[in-house]
Amino acid sequence: MSFAPDRRDALKLLAMGATAALGACGPPEEEIVPYVEMPEGLTPGVPMQFTTALPLSGYARGALVTSYEGRPTRIEGNPRHPASLGACDIFAQAEIMTLYNPDRAKAVLNEGNLSSWEDFEKALLSQMQIERGRRGSKLTILTGRVTSPTMVRQIQALLKSFPGAQWRRYEPIHDDAEISGATMAFGRPLLPIPRLDQAAVVVSLDADPLGPGPYQLAYAYAFAQKRLARKGVIQFGRLYAVESCLSLTGANSDERLALPPHLIRGFIVDIANRLGAKLPQEALGDDASRFAAAVVEDLKANPGHGVFLVGRGQPAETHALCHWINRALKAPVDYFPPVDPVASTHVDSLRGLVEDIDNGRVESLFIIGCNPAYAAPGELAVDDAIAKVPFSAYHGLYDDETAARCKWRLPLSHTLESWSDLRALDGAVSVVQPLIRPLYDTRTAHQLLALMGGMLSASSYQLVRETLQARAPRDFETHWRQWLHDGIIQGSANAPLAPPNVTLPHMDPLQAPRGPSLTFAPDPSIWDGSYANNAWLQECPKPTTKEVWGNSIHISPSDAAANDLEEGDIVTLRRGEHSLEAPVNIVQGQAAGVLGATLGYGRRRAGAIGEGLGFDAYKLMPIGTPWAAHNVALSRTGARSTILRTQRSFHLAPERREIYPTVTLQGFTEGNIDISERRGLPTLLPEWEYDSYKWAMSIDNTLCIGCNACLVACRSENNVPVVGPIEVSMGREMHWLRVDVYYRDEPTPLGFQPVPCMHCEKAPCEPVCPVEASVHDSEGLNVQVYNRCIGTRFCQSNCPYKVRRFNFFGYATDDVYANLHAQSFDAQFNPDVTVRSRGVMEKCTYCLQRISRARRTAEKENRRIAEGEIVTACQAACPTRAIIFGDLSNADGKVSQLRNEPQHYEMLGHLGTRPRTTYLAAIENPNPALREKEE
Amino acid sequence: MSASNEVPAKAERWLQPPGRSYEAINELVSAPLLKRKKWSWKFWWIAFMASLALTALMLVCISWLFTKGVGLWGVNTTNVWGFAIANYVWWIGIGNAGTLISAMLLLMRQRWRASINRFAEAMTLFAAGIAGLFPILHLGRPLYFYWLVPYPNTMALWPQWRSALIWDFWAILSYILFSILFWYSGLIPDLACVRDRAKTPGARFWFGVFALGWRGSARHWQIYHVYHTTMACLGVPLVISLHSVVGLDFAASLMPGWSETIYPPYFVVGAMYSGFTMVIALAAAVRWGFSLQALITVDHFDVMAKILLAASIIMSISYMTEWFGAWYSGEHEERSLVAYEFRGHYRALYYAMLFCNCFLPQIFWFRAARRNIALVVVVGLVINIGMWLERINIVWITLSHGYAVSMWRVFHPTYWDYLLMFSSLGLFALLYLLLCRLAPIVSMHETRRLLSQEAQQ
Repeated sequence: MSFAPDRRDALKLLAMGATAALGACGPPEEEIVPYVEMPEGLTPGVPMQFTTALPLSGYARGALVTSYEGRPTRIEGNPRHPASLGACDIFAQAEIMTLYNPDRAKAVLNEGNLSSWEDFEKALLSQMQIERGRRGSKLTILTGRVTSPTMVRQIQALLKSFPGAQWRRYEPIHDDAEISGATMAFGRPLLPIPRLDQAAVVVSLDADPLGPGPYQLAYAYAFAQKRLARKGVIQFGRLYAVESCLSLTGANSDERLALPPHLIRGFIVDIANRLGAKLPQEALGDDASRFAAAVVEDLKANPGHGVFLVGRGQPAETHALCHWINRALKAPVDYFPPVDPVASTHVDSLRGLVEDIDNGRVESLFIIGCNPAYAAPGELAVDDAIAKVPFSAYHGLYDDETAARCKWRLPLSHTLESWSDLRALDGAVSVVQPLIRPLYDTRTAHQLLALMGGMLSASSYQLVRETLQARAPRDFETHWRQWLHDGIIQGSANAPLAPPNVTLPHMDPLQAPRGPSLTFAPDPSIWDGSYANNAWLQECPKPTTKEVWGNSIHISPSDAAANDLEEGDIVTLRRGEHSLEAPVNIVQGQAAGVLGATLGYGRRRAGAIGEGLGFDAYKLMPIGTPWAAHNVALSRTGARSTILRTQRSFHLAPERREIYPTVTLQGFTEGNIDISERRGLPTLLPEWEYDSYKWAMSIDNTLCIGCNACLVACRSENNVPVVGPIEVSMGREMHWLRVDVYYRDEPTPLGFQPVPCMHCEKAPCEPVCPVEASVHDSEGLNVQVYNRCIGTRFCQSNCPYKVRRFNFFGYATDDVYANLHAQSFDAQFNPDVTVRSRGVMEKCTYCLQRISRARRTAEKENRRIAEGEIVTACQAACPTRAIIFGDLSNADGKVSQLRNEPQHYEMLGHLGTRPRTTYLAAIENPNPALREKEE
Repeated sequence: MSASNEVPAKAERWLQPPGRSYEAINELVSAPLLKRKKWSWKFWWIAFMASLALTALMLVCISWLFTKGVGLWGVNTTNVWGFAIANYVWWIGIGNAGTLISAMLLLMRQRWRASINRFAEAMTLFAAGIAGLFPILHLGRPLYFYWLVPYPNTMALWPQWRSALIWDFWAILSYILFSILFWYSGLIPDLACVRDRAKTPGARFWFGVFALGWRGSARHWQIYHVYHTTMACLGVPLVISLHSVVGLDFAASLMPGWSETIYPPYFVVGAMYSGFTMVIALAAAVRWGFSLQALITVDHFDVMAKILLAASIIMSISYMTEWFGAWYSGEHEERSLVAYEFRGHYRALYYAMLFCNCFLPQIFWFRAARRNIALVVVVGLVINIGMWLERINIVWITLSHGYAVSMWRVFHPTYWDYLLMFSSLGLFALLYLLLCRLAPIVSMHETRRLLSQEAQQ
């Protein structure tokens, strides 16, 4: 039911709002500390950091939140948390934008009309009375994946008092196949977590451990441990990827094979047979079987150090076979009991709900923190089902598709406003502590569940403490404080189980699909769509295509040629009675016969940022095989649209390879490093003299996996404005740090390269500025004086790296995209960084404000800034530690040492710019056996 | 417009006033100023209203630009310079020709310049003024353009003298000042002449004021000639330095395709080339509008067409030098840029430029073509468009195809780009039309002198 007030209603609302505002002047319910008496440990202007945990698909990632005078502005990773290890992914960092989003649900709505929590309580109590009478037989709670021990305790308590009630849980990005596969192999559900840091050979079959997900940071860190090539120390594994669509894992692999989903199954059967499984051989091409032979050879050469991973898109039996192979290889894999307490699969759970509703078995429906009216397979028609329920309440962050179908819409507190607890993939428990009092009249899920149980004024704080009491019966207060401080309860992680015996699955013969397959994947920028209304993430370029503000159908060059399609051609995809229209994007590395789509777009009700972008791929998602729809019909519509990208050229001519040189591991060990580099060229200009620090950065291209964490970190730390899709189409995005991706004529991309400002010693931007707005400072930084800049843009036209960004409009001040001018967003700005106005040039400063803060601290203590004391925002976010920042005048410092590595190079060094940001060339470890045969 | 193909007697090649008297020249030139009522101003009014409308449009463009910001234009993060800089170079090129004609041709004793130098100088003045607007309009914060001036200020900040933009600022400023002085001082004897012939007290008063008491004494003339020749000697290096400095805006960078030593001379020739085409167009307009067929003859067009031909050859050689330099440098980026010129996104513009600037002007090898005024004017205008394309290509191609491959982008102009460009032509026309009504459009004293020199031959 849409909310469209007429004039009279509007006036009524206005009057109501005025009275509400008057009411808000009263004292809050809980005791608050007046700011005039300074809280202990708080100095105005000096930010404080608090630990908390943020969920992604229910699983926790530890976070360290920076807060200025009670206002959270920046999220970084908690080094003690196993799922973040100090790094922070894009989704966690962008939670700041969700917190301050003006589109958030702010008040209780009843059938689209403004209501109140009191009214809801009344309605709820009478409804629960009815349910109590029938022992909850028509009561259903629908949640996403719940890992919070408190929430699990509350729901289980409810289920106890309402024995007939149902708890359904559906997470759009689910692991049904993984869990079923483990059950098939081990007889019980188990969660395998590979130890990538111990694997010399990793074979990823449609899996994407390095791609977005709740354990990405931990996997990436572990992967990086096997990606290290330094003088004297070489720890280097080899990553094989066999997949249909180019994932981050595939993009970072040493050997990659693009296969359609059904052949991937054939591939793993082939591998298993080579390891002695004796399964009926499935059809496989020559290339693929040669690849399989090389993989097996490599695995045999590394006993106990090879591991197989299978992605969510593969059926359960493939997963089971993967477990069998891993056992045969004695692979370094830990098996954990699943954290998710619900046993049934996600799809079954949701299907069960729809069936219940259709059979009239649901009269009271509570949907907490998930959006199934949008993010569910179109076949299920969940939205229509929900609308049939007589009493339905939706507790969520936004007034979204599901809210529109429910009778009651209850505003949910953001994680940063809530007390709660969460568990990571390995079971480690973190306490979620709020950084700010709820901005609006919102409540936590714990409060709602308590309300359903009849507790009117429950406090989440007390509920969480009650749950965790059992973990420290004695001296709870001390432990509590420690947990809050650490952001994790030490020792709460599950112990890995001794792997039970594995059974070889029975592999039914598979029929090859006749038409093209359409595969689905979470979007690398907006995940399952829940981040669709987040402007930072909408403008975060997708790692391999650099697309922003939308999604597209990925198609292989050969399929595009066969269908006479060009980039941007809009096609119709039809599966049964469902169809959608979408632009195509020709993607190198896409398997022939496979179309790829990411989820999360085509939102019908998301808010000012997220609506009307891209297409909704959930519509075509089948229930049976949720991650691939087979035999999809593709036809051209004749219409065209533009795919918005932040990078348009992806190929480097051989002579330009000095921008991104690559070295093979073999070449590296033999000392045969051919980086055609010309540096240290003579100059006529006088040398700069430095008497203090010399800041510099080194970026290891080998370690960069292209995850964009640095890009979002930079945006968040430096108040980099979002420009919106129209300005992106004009080529004016503002990212101070970009991550370039280059391709070669093979299925594996060349690699990723983060490009911040180079802070050149002989900076081309400095002498061309007529007003000296671009100047060199005493520590070698290339600084931009915003209030001196008049905007000639000569600096950017003369910058060979094109790292400067110009405010063509007042992107942060007056010409702001969509609702980003809303006052609530102002709270997100980092107060230590100037918000740039229209007409000035800006660029990466090496996080000057952080240097300055460290300098103030050091000067107060009368010492030099120590090595590692300054961590730039991009460096802090990086899960693989590819970015190192430090002082070049300290010869023992990390940055100085990296400059002595043999693969060290300056980008475009032949121009004599002498950049302070330098790179370590990407080292690849191709399988010589595969390369020889190809040649 | 009667274009005669007959060769006049050598002595009458440049001037054919009735009776070959000085008075006839005075009469011809001052008639529009002194006998306004008898003169038909119909076409003038049409042109004036049209250019007034365009000027109003330019004001709208500028106001909206100041309100919204340079984001109105098609400029992007890679192509940070777009139409504004190309238009600036184009206008300043046009602004070069007047002084070249007055000063360089004076020093080279090309006497025929007497008929055309006055309006060419005026053209210089207006074009340089309009050119000077573009760099200011293109600024992100145009209200602070005066920070380029080294004035004492509380911030204790000085301009940055290493920047080519500062050199440029001074070059334009000194050039505009010089042009005003040169043009105005050349006008003084003629203003006095009109003053002496004026019938109404008002005209007598105003022309008298601006004639600054010129009496035409031998001493006046002697001082005037020394002064004028001296100014011409100053003007030549100035005009060459001006466009060299404009060339340095690009050459003093490190971008491929810009960082070339050939730029300064190449820009000077380019400026002369486009400027002459504008002079030809104006000459034809003035000749027709004020019936000055006697003072601006077919031979003028003939000789100017020859200059165009020479310039086109130099331009062609310059282009080839660029291609050769790119190949000879051995640098991949330079070679790739030349390949991009011929095969990249702007290839149509590049081929059009080569056609306009290199191929079409070869028609002037034919005498008949040179003496067909309509043809000379049309070809001249085509060359002028070609020269605009050249500036556009210089700005766009290098910026679109620089060192950072991942940032390669194409420039797409918006309608605001086009509106400002076309409306600036309106301002130019407006200023020109006003001048036609207020001051003698051909130098009387210089044409009289030319007449006497012709008589002596």
